Amino acid sequence: MITLENVYYKYEPEGIDALRGVSLQIREGEHLALIGPNGCGKTTLIRHLNSLLLPASGKVTIGGFDTKDAGHQADIRSLVGMVFQNPDNQIVGMTVEEDVAFGPENLRLPTVEIKKRVAGALARVGISGLACRNIENLSGGEKRLVAIAGVLAMQPRYIALDEPTAFLDPAAAKRVLDIVDKLHSEGVGIIHITHNMAEASLTQRIVVMNEGRIYLDGTPQEIFGKIGLLQKIGMQLPQITELLIKLEESGFPARTDIVNMEDALEEILFLIRKNKD
Amino acid sequence: MYHTGSFINGPSLIYNLDPRIKLAVTICLSIFILWLKPLIVVIVGIALFCAALANGITLRTIGQAIKPLLFFIVLIFLVHLLFNEGEALFNIPYIGISISYTGLQHGFFVVWRFLCLIMAAILLTLTTTPSQMIAAIKYFLRPLKLLRVPIDDIAVMIMLALRLMPILLTEKERVEIAQKARGYNLRQSGYIIRIKAFFSLILTVLTGIFRRANELALAMEARNYQRGERTSLVELKLKSSDYVFITFLSFFFVIFVALNSHFG
Repeated sequence: MITLENVYYKYEPEGIDALRGVSLQIREGEHLALIGPNGCGKTTLIRHLNSLLLPASGKVTIGGFDTKDAGHQADIRSLVGMVFQNPDNQIVGMTVEEDVAFGPENLRLPTVEIKKRVAGALARVGISGLACRNIENLSGGEKRLVAIAGVLAMQPRYIALDEPTAFLDPAAAKRVLDIVDKLHSEGVGIIHITHNMAEASLTQRIVVMNEGRIYLDGTPQEIFGKIGLLQKIGMQLPQITELLIKLEESGFPARTDIVNMEDALEEILFLIRKNKD
Repeated sequence: MYHTGSFINGPSLIYNLDPRIKLAVTICLSIFILWLKPLIVVIVGIALFCAALANGITLRTIGQAIKPLLFFIVLIFLVHLLFNEGEALFNIPYIGISISYTGLQHGFFVVWRFLCLIMAAILLTLTTTPSQMIAAIKYFLRPLKLLRVPIDDIAVMIMLALRLMPILLTEKERVEIAQKARGYNLRQSGYIIRIKAFFSLILTVLTGIFRRANELALAMEARNYQRGERTSLVELKLKSSDYVFITFLSFFFVIFVALNSHFG
């Protein structure tokens, strides 16, 4: 369990309040999307989850370990893996396997175990064939998968992803999201920062942040049902939900709490059939 | 594209050798190249060239590696050509310098020696992954641990330097393109504008690199990097092929030394 209790954080020397009393609990195996306008504190929040940042006041505990306890830093960083927004700034090694091995090497594991973990992590994200490839010769999507594999090699129970599909073409983005889904189905907890509402709608829970505070917290249906509150902070709805709202405004009695493609298709077909009758 | 830290993914004979053997052989070979008589160095150079081709290194890659050093190669050749005394082949009018056969010969052999050193370095770097190379360097620096030299930190620093090299080049290209996109046409500008643009380029690239280095440091911290001892993916273990290679190479070294004393 990840617990944040009344966490405050301020960036010095600018004096910007990035987090203002954030309290949040994330269960093991949960798939959570963290959304909100730019500068609302999403990245600051996830950097507290593997003790890259420590709260100015309040408390963050990961699997029972207080992030302020320096003696448990290695445990915390093994429990929560962090995938940064730009993989180029995260990849340390010159080849894929060298980079994936970086975390286990830091954990001072024996060579045999490192090799096992590297092979396992590469297989989990489906890039075993790239093991010896030079990082500079990889595509953006492949680099993102290398970054995820590098985190997986540390066998974390949670992975925090900072906009994992940013700057990717649709095919590469889908590949990354499929891997994230697979990891979630394997029991890894996912904390996923995104500006893409369709991506957020695929998770179990959405936490909306605004001005360093938790603004809304609930299931995708609950969150996207609060249209007025979302629009107030400049957030948009998933396109599919917006389409159904437009249909409703045009006089069709469509449900507007639908957030995914399958349910929307079913609803539209139902409306068409009903209209024919 | 060849750049610092790039390598060819095996399998090739040299690729599979222990990195310690490769590093030690390259150092010994470099000393030999500087010590051997010019005619023997010609044979060594041809052997190195054949070894490179046999291990999948293309002429294009060799050319790319030599290209940045071309200015120095030409300079070395010219210095030897123009400032060596001997029987004049012909005189350059107005400047009173004569080209001699000795100068031509000296220039050729010095450049050849230099090219041999480059070939040896190419063979080593292109057939060894950076982590293998770092493991080998760490192995040879081990005695310094007794003097409390932070070997593991030095190894990580080398790895990061190699990693940041292509990033630096990409950043430079990105800034240059951004400058051009906003109408900077340096080819048609005067020297003052060129110097200003150069400083602006350097400043922007440096700012970008510091930002990236900061992000990289955070990412390393997130993956539990701490100063001090680390284990390694690379297992340093001599195989039978390494022993065969050492025997084979020793045999050739002896032949070259014998030839060298014969020609002497």
